[in-house]
Amino acid sequence: MSPASVLDVVLAAAVLAVALVAVLLPSRRGAVSAFLVLGVVLAVLWARLDAPDIALAEAALGSGVAGALLMDTLTADPARPGRRAGRTAVVVGLLAGAVALAALTVVVRAVPDEPSLLPAAVAEEIHGAGADHAVTAVLLNFRSLDTLLEAAVLVFAAAGAGALVRTPVRAPDPVPAPVTALARVLLPALVLLGTWLLLAGTSRPGGAFQAGAMFAGALVVAFVAGARFAASQGTAARAWTVAGVLAFVALAAGTAMLGQGWLVLDPRWAGAAVLTVETVLAVSIGVGLAQVFVANSEARRVPS
Amino acid sequence: MTRLELLLALGCAVLVVGLVAHLLARDLVRRVVALNVASAGVMIVLLVLATRGTEPDPVAQALVLTGIVIMAAITGLALALVRRVEAPEDEEAP
Repeated sequence: MSPASVLDVVLAAAVLAVALVAVLLPSRRGAVSAFLVLGVVLAVLWARLDAPDIALAEAALGSGVAGALLMDTLTADPARPGRRAGRTAVVVGLLAGAVALAALTVVVRAVPDEPSLLPAAVAEEIHGAGADHAVTAVLLNFRSLDTLLEAAVLVFAAAGAGALVRTPVRAPDPVPAPVTALARVLLPALVLLGTWLLLAGTSRPGGAFQAGAMFAGALVVAFVAGARFAASQGTAARAWTVAGVLAFVALAAGTAMLGQGWLVLDPRWAGAAVLTVETVLAVSIGVGLAQVFVANSEARRVPS
Repeated sequence: MTRLELLLALGCAVLVVGLVAHLLARDLVRRVVALNVASAGVMIVLLVLATRGTEPDPVAQALVLTGIVIMAAITGLALALVRRVEAPEDEEAP
């Protein structure tokens, strides 16, 4: 492993400093702003670590969707003063943190500095996996059970957030003219970008998650601009939210009953299966995340 | 100090900073932000371990990718709960 360069040291210092600022600032506005800055610094770090898929997902989801949710919370209630923890709690917390840090550092230093065997195993099996890009092949073939369960987590989050809404969801009305104009430009661009990321994901960085984040962004923009279809929490929206898990479960059941076992894809049709599941998953993630956003914007409203 | 050691230490530090802040913060939105910071620490550790060979480890990267989606979903659910907790009628209750 190469020695740490000046850039690595500066980058590490920047990440730690921004993380500290994000948790130490007493105001909500400050904490959320610092968190958004952390997303940008992390994207540079992911690029240094040869992880373009993660950088894309971080920009689209970690900073994009989560950032939009946090900013929307601030707009709804910006003036809440921060409360502080008691002195005893702070001392105990800092001590426990120091012990945990020491223990963690010892543990990670014990990890051998040898390459993992997994990249070679992936490279050996990738022909016939249904995707040429290693990360996509892992997500939708080699470790597809993880992805299935992750899609299920998203369904639970959307259902949970939706259950907190007490009033029928209404699209914002009236919508300021600049918002409508911006939505007209952004909507086609986001849908196009999402579709490209989805199709590109089989051979290069991109894939269902990043595409799903773009679709979620498009739906959120449509909702903010007052589109009624984006404000719907009806049967269609719910069906699309669970469609990703259902498609995955259908594939698992099909391969278990007719093929070689749970989620074992035959190289002959693996490509078609991967792309189909990815497409359904992307739309499902998009609708699911948009549902979470819409539920958030309504969770504060009290029935009159 | 090698790059691996430096960035592994950074990941641990960010995780602990986020966790301690998550447990100590009283304000609910700051708690959600701190949880996100802690998850960034875990991602740093996993992605640094993924760079040990000549080629980055796609399995660890896929794991982090899954984690990012779950973190975004959990943030959304947590913030919806925050808003419901802080909704006007709850503040008027004794």
